[in-house]
Amino acid sequence: MRADKGLGLTLRYVTAIAVTVVFLFPIYWLAMISFKTPEEIFAFPPVWWPESIQFANYAVLFKDGDVDTIWNSMVIATVSTVCAMFLGTMCAYSIARFRTGGNFFADWVLSNRMIPPIVIVFPIFLLYVQLGWVDTYVGLIVLYTAFNLPYVIWMMRGYIQDIPLELEESALVDGCSRWQVFMKVVWPMARGGLFATAVFTFVFAWNEFIFALVLTRSDVTTFPVQVTHYFGGQSNFWAKIAAMSMLGTVPIFIAVALLQRFLVRGISLGAVKG
Amino acid sequence: MNSGGATGETVAGPGGPALLTRASQAADRNFKYWMIFPAVLVILLIGLFPVIYTLIVSTQNLTMMDEDTTFHGLMHYRALLEDARFWESLLHTFIFVVVALPAELIFGLAMAYLFLERLPGRQIFVALLVLPVITSPIIAGATWRLLFDNRFGPINQILGWFAGEPVPILWTVDPNFVYPAILIAEIWQWTPFMFLLLLAALSNVDQSQIEAAELDGAGFWRTFTRIVLPAIWPVMAIAVLIRALDLFRLFDVIWALTRGGPGTSTETISIYAYVLGFQQFETSYTSAMAFLVIVILAVSITLILRRMEIDR
Amino acid sequence: MARLEIRGLRKSYGKVEALKGIDLDIADGEFCVFVGPSGCGKSTLLRTIAGLEDINAGTIDIDGEVVNNLRPRDRNIAMVFQNYALYPYLNVYENIAFGLRARKVPDAEVKVRVGNAAEMLGISGLLDRTPRQLSGGQRQRVAIGRAVVRDARLFLFDEPLSNLDAQLRDGMRAEIKRLHQEIGKTTIYVTHDQIEAMTLADRIVLLRDGLIEQQGAPLDLFERPATRFVAGFLGSPQMNFVETKLEQADDGLALVFDQDRKLPLDPTRVPAFDKWRGRDVILGIRPEHMSRSGDGASRKPAETPLNVLVDLVQPTGTRTYAQFRLNGTEITVELPSHTVERPGTTIEILVDMSRIILVDPETQRVIPG
Repeated sequence: MRADKGLGLTLRYVTAIAVTVVFLFPIYWLAMISFKTPEEIFAFPPVWWPESIQFANYAVLFKDGDVDTIWNSMVIATVSTVCAMFLGTMCAYSIARFRTGGNFFADWVLSNRMIPPIVIVFPIFLLYVQLGWVDTYVGLIVLYTAFNLPYVIWMMRGYIQDIPLELEESALVDGCSRWQVFMKVVWPMARGGLFATAVFTFVFAWNEFIFALVLTRSDVTTFPVQVTHYFGGQSNFWAKIAAMSMLGTVPIFIAVALLQRFLVRGISLGAVKG
Repeated sequence: MNSGGATGETVAGPGGPALLTRASQAADRNFKYWMIFPAVLVILLIGLFPVIYTLIVSTQNLTMMDEDTTFHGLMHYRALLEDARFWESLLHTFIFVVVALPAELIFGLAMAYLFLERLPGRQIFVALLVLPVITSPIIAGATWRLLFDNRFGPINQILGWFAGEPVPILWTVDPNFVYPAILIAEIWQWTPFMFLLLLAALSNVDQSQIEAAELDGAGFWRTFTRIVLPAIWPVMAIAVLIRALDLFRLFDVIWALTRGGPGTSTETISIYAYVLGFQQFETSYTSAMAFLVIVILAVSITLILRRMEIDR
Repeated sequence: MARLEIRGLRKSYGKVEALKGIDLDIADGEFCVFVGPSGCGKSTLLRTIAGLEDINAGTIDIDGEVVNNLRPRDRNIAMVFQNYALYPYLNVYENIAFGLRARKVPDAEVKVRVGNAAEMLGISGLLDRTPRQLSGGQRQRVAIGRAVVRDARLFLFDEPLSNLDAQLRDGMRAEIKRLHQEIGKTTIYVTHDQIEAMTLADRIVLLRDGLIEQQGAPLDLFERPATRFVAGFLGSPQMNFVETKLEQADDGLALVFDQDRKLPLDPTRVPAFDKWRGRDVILGIRPEHMSRSGDGASRKPAETPLNVLVDLVQPTGTRTYAQFRLNGTEITVELPSHTVERPGTTIEILVDMSRIILVDPETQRVIPG
């Protein structure tokens, strides 16, 4: 029995490593290309490990101003996240504590998350043309805020329900208005959930492609759109694709690594409390 | 909590205090509506405006050339029914859903079982395996574009080792390989999503129930179907629902790998709508299609949710 | 100073009526305890007074001002919650100061008042800690401190001790009583624990099914319960109840039991029960109002012997509880710890017939007399 267990563990360990290698290999390959010289990128057979790590591919992006798209993504994702968190948490509080609108309202809010972007983006585009919001920060910020609100409301509702009601009642008796209770009790009590939800909201806005593809031209191009600009019919700008992708992906990896605790709850729309 | 409902009507004391109390009560009663108001306003931008707008425009005849806003009835819907490309795009979407979804579910479940029991360094494995999920789908597509390159990509190279000779597959061009290519990329990105949720669900299954079943002589399969599956079903159902909806709107990965090609052979609903609306500027026709998609989706979501309610 | 007057108070949740018409007066400075089994409406009543629940009918009047429609913050009351309701993200000082800050009290005054409150509760050394770093008893003190620090006219306690372990509970109970004596504020205290109710209250309000069953001074309720429910609720172990019959015996009345056993009524009480002659009644007798004959203590005139077969013995150390059957009902008697009998022996016990009560089986009300 014991020896069996030991053998089983070894086998499982080997399998686990193999699976992990398979899933990480694409990311490894992307990272390696970003550090390769042109000769290494276009070597046949492919070079599995570059001779030396060099940052020339990144330097080009900085020199040409391509990294501005990272800045655009940063502005749009940050502002839309802040807006969505603030409005969404207010709404979530109302639903969680007063059952405002009943189940119907809560379900309606979530159903807006399920609409395919392509269905939304077309009328929005025509509206934005009228408003002059195409290729502006405000256009994408408003759209991302709207698209993220259902998620924020749904998640924050769950986190707020976890707060003991007595804390709020105590504050009411102690002399707080409803709004003060929200600001002084709910907000700090929901800190963990707020932070986690904000990160996932940010990640969505940061990664989003189709809205950005349609609603940006050149002024506020976000980094995912920029990456597709490097695709060519026959040959790709390999080094740029890889380096730009890395610039846009590594920060997300770090952010999510910091909140492993909230990860499962965050991606399962709160279905699993983890 | 104060639910803002009916209050004692016997009060109405004379003089000052009554005024004050009335005012403060009213403020409290409306508080909950003030709290949802701004969010609802913003959500309507995506939740109501597009539905109404596409419905209206779909009955007109707007194109790039023509600003014809007269009523044309269901003309575009009729055209849509006869549009083979539309039905094919629906079929392509369907293929991606029915192949990728079970594959992600089964691989995810297998991986969850692999990591279910104590394994040294499990946290690190899980942390690494989550990376594909949080990568931007368009970046994931771009990455696989590089991996699938027929000459400089590692995939053909690795296949070559097994074949014993160079393998020159044109993954993103050859009609026989575009579907596997897209599916591999899609499954690679989202299997860890299933894995994470199922691992959490499996960890929450009451261990004593499983042990009791094993003592009763139930085999793995019996234990799984009778005890484990019912226990993880709620989470699994939600995971499947989330993924099904994502796959239905599949766009980014295909955009990066094939742009719907070769020809229109990998064109999904989303890709076709994009091409129609933003490359051919068939405003009214695209609106009709968008509205139809909303209807299809609304109906199927309602049915699925009702089915899940019943199962529970 | 604060005087509370409640008239015709009703509260329902949907179809369920939680309070079915409460009339209650609480005098200035009084320590009033709401007690009753869970679901009796005691917490709901407290919460309507705090303004945390709307009411459907009736009035709540504090010092002559109807507060029905006043928000909690405008009622100027302080409340201590069962789970302490401390803010984990604030330290002890800020927790106590929370209510003062909400009312925009100047910093200097906050400092003085928090200092005084902490002093009074013996938590001056803990002001920099967070609630997480405190023991249960310390958290409870902070929660009380948060109420004390505000110059509220009414103190409300919602089962404040039920989360503490038994030993701490005794200490905190004494402390709350002492605090009330020092501050002298009108206090309403909700508990399901009848010992807390007995020890703390100037007046007990016993609730049952959304109505006040009986109210009065603790000993009044204990000795002169109006209903079987009150008699059974107060006292531990519970009062024993036996279905029996009141019959003519010699020149008086007697309760008759199986095996020809009889308990003649105390002659002084016979006239009051005369019209119950020949009718079914329920006998109520507390375990401590029975004793073992031959204990050495001189026998009181009202004590009447009864032969019983002991079937269970439960020593607790200080006292021993023995059980026997009477008319098919299990009866508990409290005995000194060294008179332990083995189950199966027959002993003679003395029933203090001056302390028994008789209950009308139909109305479940105690028959006066």
